[in-house]
Amino acid sequence: MAAFGSFALLIALALAAYNLFAGVIALRLIATGQSARISPERLADTARRAGIAGFVAVTAAAFALVWSVFNNDFSITYIMEHSNRALPAPYKFAALWSGQEGSLLLWAWLLGAYGFVLRLLHKTDVKLYAYAGTILAGVQLFFLSVVNFAAPPFSLLKGALPDDGNGLNPLLQYPEMVIHPPMLYLGYVGFTIPFAFALGALMMRYPGEKWIRITRGWTMVTWLFLTMGIFLGMHWAYAVLGWGGYWGWDPVENASFMPWLTGTAFLHSVMMQERKGMMKSWNVWLIFSTFILSILGTLLTRGGLVSSVHAFAQSSIGDWFVAFLVIVLAVCIFTYILQRSHLKSEQRLESLVSRESSFLFNNLVLLAACFVILWGTLFPILSEYVQGTKVTVGPPFYNRVAIPIGLFLLFLTGVGPLLPWRSTSLRAIRRNFVVPSIALWATVIVCLAVGARPWKDGVFDTGNFYALVAFGLSAGVFTAILSEFLRGAGVIARQTRRNLFSAMYLLTRRNTRRYGGYIIHIGVVIVVVGLAGAAFNRSQESELGLNSTMAIGPYTLKCVGFTQDSNLNYDSEYALLDIYQNGKKQFQMTPEKRVYLASQQPQTMVAIHSVLSWDLYVVYEGTNPDTGQPIIKAFLNPLVSWIWAGVVFMVIGTFVALVPSLVPATASLRVPASLGAPTEPALRGGD
Amino acid sequence: MTDLQGVLAGAMMALALGVYTFWPENAFASQREKTRLDYLLERKEQLYENLRDLNFEYRAGKYPEEDFVAQRALLEDETAQLLAEIEHLQQA
Repeated sequence: MAAFGSFALLIALALAAYNLFAGVIALRLIATGQSARISPERLADTARRAGIAGFVAVTAAAFALVWSVFNNDFSITYIMEHSNRALPAPYKFAALWSGQEGSLLLWAWLLGAYGFVLRLLHKTDVKLYAYAGTILAGVQLFFLSVVNFAAPPFSLLKGALPDDGNGLNPLLQYPEMVIHPPMLYLGYVGFTIPFAFALGALMMRYPGEKWIRITRGWTMVTWLFLTMGIFLGMHWAYAVLGWGGYWGWDPVENASFMPWLTGTAFLHSVMMQERKGMMKSWNVWLIFSTFILSILGTLLTRGGLVSSVHAFAQSSIGDWFVAFLVIVLAVCIFTYILQRSHLKSEQRLESLVSRESSFLFNNLVLLAACFVILWGTLFPILSEYVQGTKVTVGPPFYNRVAIPIGLFLLFLTGVGPLLPWRSTSLRAIRRNFVVPSIALWATVIVCLAVGARPWKDGVFDTGNFYALVAFGLSAGVFTAILSEFLRGAGVIARQTRRNLFSAMYLLTRRNTRRYGGYIIHIGVVIVVVGLAGAAFNRSQESELGLNSTMAIGPYTLKCVGFTQDSNLNYDSEYALLDIYQNGKKQFQMTPEKRVYLASQQPQTMVAIHSVLSWDLYVVYEGTNPDTGQPIIKAFLNPLVSWIWAGVVFMVIGTFVALVPSLVPATASLRVPASLGAPTEPALRGGD
Repeated sequence: MTDLQGVLAGAMMALALGVYTFWPENAFASQREKTRLDYLLERKEQLYENLRDLNFEYRAGKYPEEDFVAQRALLEDETAQLLAEIEHLQQA
C-alpha cells in the first residue's frame, strides 16, 4: 500500500500543477481576448477537471494510509510511530492526523474535498469559480509538495521490521480527539475558499458584490467548523490535561483563535459591503488576513518556533511554510495594489452612532484582540531575536488585555442590533436602550445582593469585578436580542393573526441570516456567562486514605476503594469516591490514571460531574511515595456547562442562518418623471 | 499489496484520471460578461431589501416617526436614481 499511496500523491501533485498552470493560461487568454490552438474555455474546463481528479488521487492516498494503519503495516515509519496492534479502532483512524505527515495529508485531502464541491458547483458563476479553482490549485500544489517531498507519510522504515508500533500519544486517546482535529482542519482549510473567491474577484475586477453572496455559505460553514473545533479542543483540554481549566493561551490555541477572530470580523463587516458597498478594501484584507493567520498558526506550531502542548506535531517544515507565506503575501499585496481602484467605497460613514459604526467598532475590537494574541504568541520569537533570550508571556498577560476587550465586544453585540442604519437620534436611543439597560443594572444589583464583591476588605478583586460586568452585560445583551425577536414577532402577529411563537418562527424564516445571527449572539452570551464563572473556581487537594473524606463546596468526597485494571492497550489504577451532599450519597466518581503499554506514557483520566450550576472535577494524581496514600485533587468550577450549552446555540444559530430566507413580497418604486435620464452614474462600483 | 501491485494500481488510476481530465467534450459551461446593468439590477434588489428592512423596523417600533421619514426619503432617493439609470441603460 505504501507504493500505491506514494504514487497517488505524485499523481495528485501533477494534477494540481496542471490545474494551476492551465487555469492561469486559460484565464489570461480569456482576460486578454487572445486566441490559441485550444479554446480558453476548453482549457479552463480541463483545469477544473484536473482539480476534481486530484481530489480522487488524494482520497486514494488517504485511504492507503488508513488501510495501512488498520492492517498494522509497521514497515511504514509513520504507522510504526503513531499506532500499535492493541490500539482501539477509532484511535487507529485518528492516527491519520496524530502526526505531522498524516495531518498534512488530511489538510490536502480536506482542501481537495472543498475544491471538489466548488468545482462541481462551477455553473453558479463560471468565470469567478474558474479564478477561485485556480487559486485553490495553487494552495493545493503547496500542500501536496510538502507531503511529497518534505513530510512524506509513506516513507519506509529502515532496518528490521518491529513486531509492534510505538502507539498513539496517550493525550490523543480520548473520544474528542477523533473529531476535534478534523473539525479544526475543516475550519482552517475552509478559509481557503473565501480567500480564493475574494482574491479571484479582485483579480478579475468582479462587478458588484454578488461574489459575497456566493461565498456566504462557504464562509459560514467554515466559521462553524472552526468554532466547533476550538470548543471541542477546549473540552478536550478540560477533560484530559487535568489542570481544571479549558483555555491556557497555549500557542496552538492562539493559532486557532486568531483566524476565528478575523473570520468573525469578516462575517460582520461583509454585511456593510453587501448592503451599502462600504469597507471593500477592509473586507478583502480581513479575508486575506484570516487565510494568512491560518498558515502562520501552522508555521508557529509545526515549525518548532514556539513550544506548545501540541509539541508532538513539530518538525522541520517551517521553511516551506515561510516561503509559502511570503508568496501568498506578495500575491495579495501585488493584486491589491494593481486593482485597488476597484475597491472604492460607494458610500461614507454618516454617523458615529449607527449600525455601520457599531460594525466598524466590532471589527476594530476583534482586530485589537487578534493583534494582542499575535503579539503574545510571537513575543518569545521577537524577544529571542532582540535580546537573545526567549521570554514567554503567560495567561496573566492575555487575561489582562483580552478580558476587557472581550467585554467591550459583548457590549457591542448588544448595542449593534438596536442601532438603526445610517444615523440614530437621541429619541431612538432612548426608545431602544431603556429595557436592556434596566436588565443590565438589575442583574448587577442582584449579583451584589447575593454576594458578588468586587471590593473585598478594601482590596479590588479584578476577577470578581470582571465577572460582575460580564453578568450585567450578558443580561443586557440577552434582553436586547429578546426584544428584537419580540418586537419583530409582534408585527407579524398583528399582520397575520398568529400567536407569538408561530410569529417568531415566521420572523426567523423570513430573515434567517439576521435571526440566525441573533441566536448565535445568544450562544455567545451563554458562553460568556460560563467563562465568567471561572472567577469563582475553587480547588482542594488531599491525601485520601480508605474511608477518609474531603469537602469542597456542597460536596463531601469519601474514598471507598482503590483498584487496578488492565487491558491490551493500558494499565490503570483508579479511586472509587462516593459523593455526598447534605449527608446523603448522591453518586460515585472514579478518577483514573493510566499507563499506556506501547509508549509507557502515563495519562490522567479526570472524573467530571456536571450540573447547570457547576462542575465537580476530580483528578487522581497518583500516590504519595512517602506514605503510599493516594492524592486526590478536586475542583469546583461554577457554570462550566454553560460554555458547552452556549456552543450548541451557536451551532443552531449558524444552521438557521444557512437556511435560505423565505422570499419576501416584492416592493415597487416608481421613478419620478422629474429625474429623467441620469447625468452621472447612480452608484460607484460595478466597473 | 506488493510494491509492484501498488505501482500498477497507481498507473491504472493515473490513466483513468488522465482520460477523465482530457476527455474531448465541447459541452463545457460558459457565461457572458457581466455588464453594468447586471450590477445595477443586483443593487436594486439590495436597495429594495434595505427599504423592506426599514419599513419592518419602523413597524416594530424601533424608529421614531421623524427618523423613519428621513431615512425612507434618503433610501427612496437613492433607489430612484438607480432605477433611472437602469431605465436609461435598458432603453439604450
